[in-house]
Amino acid sequence: MLNRGTLIYISQRLVLIVFTVFAVSSVVFLGIHRLPGDALFNEHLHGTQYQLLLHHYGLDRPLWDQYTSFLTGLFLHGNLGESLVNRGVPITPLVLRELTVSAEVGLFALLFTIGLGMLLGVVAAIRQNTWVDYLLSTTSVIGYSMPSFVIATFLLLFFAVWLDNFTQGTFYFQIGWTGRFGTIGEIWLPAFALGFPYASIVARLTRASMLEVIRQDYIRTARAKGLRETVIMARHALRNALIPVITILGPLVIGIITGGVIIENIFGIPGLGKEFANSILNRDYNIVIGVFTMYAAMVGLANLGVDLLYVVIDPRIRY
Amino acid sequence: MATSVSFPVPGPGPAPVVGTAGLSAPVQASLWSDAWRRLRRNRMALISAVYLVILVAVALVALVHTPYSYREVGVARPYSGPSWANWLGADILGRDVLSRLMVGAQISLIVGVGTQVFVVAVGVPIGLLAGYYKGTVDSVVSFIINVFYGIPDLLVAMILLLLLGPSLNNIIIAIVATRWMDMTRLVRGQTLALREREFIEAARSSGAKPAKILFGHILPNSLGPIIVQATFGVPAAILFEAFLSFLGIGVQPPTPSWGSMAADGLAAIRIAPHMVIAPSIALSLTLMAFNFLGDGLRDALDPRQKR
Amino acid sequence: MPTPILQVKDLHTEFLTDGGVVKAVDGVSFDLYPGESIGIVGESGSGKSITALSILRLVPDPGRVVSGQVLFHDQDLLQLGGEEIREIRGRDIAMIFQDPQSSLNPVLRTGFQIDEAMLAHNKANRKQARQRTVELLRRVRIPAPETRVKDFPHQLSGGMRQRAMIAMGLANAPSILIADEPTTALDVTVQAQILELLADLNRDLGTAIVMITHNMGVVAGLCSRVLVMYAGEIVEQGPVEQIFEHPQHPYTWSLLRSIPRVDALRHERLRSIEGLAPDLLHPPAGCRFHPRCPFRVEKCFTDEPRLQEVAPDQLAACWVTMERARKEMGADDLIDIRPGAGSGLRKGELTE
Ligand SMILES: Nc1ncnc2c1ncn2[C@@H]1O[C@H](COP(=O)(O)OP(=O)(O)O)[C@@H](O)[C@H]1O
Ligand code: SF4
Ligand SMILES: [Mg+2]
Repeated sequence: MLNRGTLIYISQRLVLIVFTVFAVSSVVFLGIHRLPGDALFNEHLHGTQYQLLLHHYGLDRPLWDQYTSFLTGLFLHGNLGESLVNRGVPITPLVLRELTVSAEVGLFALLFTIGLGMLLGVVAAIRQNTWVDYLLSTTSVIGYSMPSFVIATFLLLFFAVWLDNFTQGTFYFQIGWTGRFGTIGEIWLPAFALGFPYASIVARLTRASMLEVIRQDYIRTARAKGLRETVIMARHALRNALIPVITILGPLVIGIITGGVIIENIFGIPGLGKEFANSILNRDYNIVIGVFTMYAAMVGLANLGVDLLYVVIDPRIRY
Repeated sequence: MATSVSFPVPGPGPAPVVGTAGLSAPVQASLWSDAWRRLRRNRMALISAVYLVILVAVALVALVHTPYSYREVGVARPYSGPSWANWLGADILGRDVLSRLMVGAQISLIVGVGTQVFVVAVGVPIGLLAGYYKGTVDSVVSFIINVFYGIPDLLVAMILLLLLGPSLNNIIIAIVATRWMDMTRLVRGQTLALREREFIEAARSSGAKPAKILFGHILPNSLGPIIVQATFGVPAAILFEAFLSFLGIGVQPPTPSWGSMAADGLAAIRIAPHMVIAPSIALSLTLMAFNFLGDGLRDALDPRQKR
Repeated sequence: MPTPILQVKDLHTEFLTDGGVVKAVDGVSFDLYPGESIGIVGESGSGKSITALSILRLVPDPGRVVSGQVLFHDQDLLQLGGEEIREIRGRDIAMIFQDPQSSLNPVLRTGFQIDEAMLAHNKANRKQARQRTVELLRRVRIPAPETRVKDFPHQLSGGMRQRAMIAMGLANAPSILIADEPTTALDVTVQAQILELLADLNRDLGTAIVMITHNMGVVAGLCSRVLVMYAGEIVEQGPVEQIFEHPQHPYTWSLLRSIPRVDALRHERLRSIEGLAPDLLHPPAGCRFHPRCPFRVEKCFTDEPRLQEVAPDQLAACWVTMERARKEMGADDLIDIRPGAGSGLRKGELTE
């Protein structure tokens, strides 16, 4: 599987990702630094203190100068600079730590989305045109019409408010974030809220692709061989039905990243998304740039992962 | 196919029919009436259409009358629940939730419909040109489309709003800038398929100008899929606005948006759950209605391509 | 005469479509004897594949076998439970299909797909199955089978894929192999090799073969008996030479006339028979062939002919036999089925 062609392909893609990161961070950096006023504008500082701070962040230098030192910092030392609001906090370790948190929630959401989505899709396809199918196709519209924050809200209402009220507080559901990594109890609600809308989409797609696959000739061949129906579905149908489903993994990852911005805020998860929203609200431009750069790299890597997954699932695809 | 013995022969067959493509004018008329007949049989789509008509009516009524002013503070006790005076209760400042919800409907509809107007205005011409001229134009357009699909739209929109400043216009701009691709891609595909059809060939060989072919033949024959795409685009844009406002970088107070109302409500979820439930349900129902309507329109306009 | 290994009796298979009921197979009966090789011939859409699929109960939705019997060793396959018919499939009766490209699963290795046929019937453990797969691939003349087993279907040529399909069909040494147009999708030279291979297997292994084809020429080399199908019915059947020399049904006659000349075989586009293939939703009244039949008489419009013995061992369903047709309509000179013989058709009538 990992032959020479694939390795060359991977390295090309990695170069492309580095280039994307460069382009994206440049656009954001230059865009933000052309804003009227400067980053400390809001704080109504005056005199030497202001001058000192400007100098500390290099904001008194020409834009081009700032830009080149930003780039050398980023690409040579992996240094994204310092937070403008929480002075003295270096950004790189901050976003790296937040990345692990976001990735943890995101991966759970992804697993959940794909697992539930495919399960429902397969059931709907096998039971095509029965009540199960109609129920699933109707609920899937409801599913992807529920914004993740609405789902999160209802989960909170149910688990944190009503459950607590009805049991007089003897039973309550721990919501929050205690350590660096979340516990299963802390993670599954946010992951559910994050993944549910997409699970509906995966279910629809799986259903369509299963229906397409089960009328293929090779399924008839498998039956003619005398294979059991469960084997035919699991081994012959599902694997082929996966191929179109992989196509939406890219958009799915992006959806989970963007959804994370909201879900992390609601559930108080100290991840990249929460940081990004806060930094935009606080106008902490250095963090905006840093987090966005991180996002660009993540999206690039996720798409590369998806493309490699094709190779694993479909032997006809080689790079 | 005419007679007797026929079996699959490898090689180019007739091009697959895409969408409502390739029907000459008289057939088109019956196509639309057929579609209307099929749509009327779709119960979910019909219920959704009724809901949306009511929603639009509510938004229009809110232009001239709401039970209270949406911005008037203290019309009821803060956080107070639903009552005869305030059907949906009051919010943190004692403002009437129902009135705010009605104004929020205006915002959602303006954003939803407004973005699609621009998406059509931008996406359709670009898609037509890319599909018709193929070659370099198409490669460039396709490349740009793919780049945009690779970026996290919400995050870019957030940065755009940071740069442009939050306002309703800028929200629409940010959404169009990050979500114009679906329509462009669709129209490009339609054009690519349609330009090979006989009646287009005929028009071309009889000396029709590209503009005439694009807007006189290809566009009318792509109308069905465009309508379906725009219908699905509306809820996507509404959701987008709700996300932005939820995070506090969309519509700015005191103007209510369902997203910002939900965010306010979430903060008071223990003491005043109605504050978050009302906008959440309004938003979900509206998105659902547009999605069911889109499904219905798609099935009605293109019965062959079921789901 | 030995007892038949497979008896199909009055088989009816229908498709319930939006437009109405399509009687794809309408009262088909035939016997197959051990080690025998019979051909089922007819235009596309005449019901050959559905007949074959009905035998193994593999008719796709919305098709249903509505009546009839398929007796295999005295048990009616149509009455078996799901698990029982599964055990018959591939073990006693195997089937190979027209398009080896789409009939093999693209994401599984070719060798594994053959192993599977044995594993499904607990005929062997994985290791034995793999050994036998290699042997089978060698048997169907695939070079370097030890390495080929690891190939995915897309890495094989069309002919090799069909050989692999045949190997899969033979995996459990079935007593019957149904081959549904196994050569149609292949190149001419490969077609001949595959036919030769099937003939060898029939002779050497004693596997009875049901050969489905729209090409009379394929039948000539391989089969001892032939059934001619038209619009869901058998219209003529009998020993191959006899049918070739004295076709008794006008449809058989036109089929024979449309055997492609060897040099025209390339895409195997048949010279067509004039007229439209029948619409099975609204089959013609009387003899179903009458709209296209040059010999029809009044009766043909209203009364349906039944299969009758028209010569020793030969049955045909036609009111006007060929003998009379020759006399009355002077069609003698048209009957020339030698390859390359001039056709009586004008160019405009050559449609596909
Ligand atoms: N899936 C289907 N739906 C409806 N009708 C079908 C279907 N498959 C086959 N038929 C009908 O059955 C007839 C016989 O088909 P088939 O046995 O495949 O013909 P052939 O002789 O070419 O193998 C066709 O003419 C068609 O009318
Ligand atoms: S019965 Fe009549 S119509 Fe039918 S084949 Fe014989 S002659 Fe022709
Ligand atoms: Mg067939």
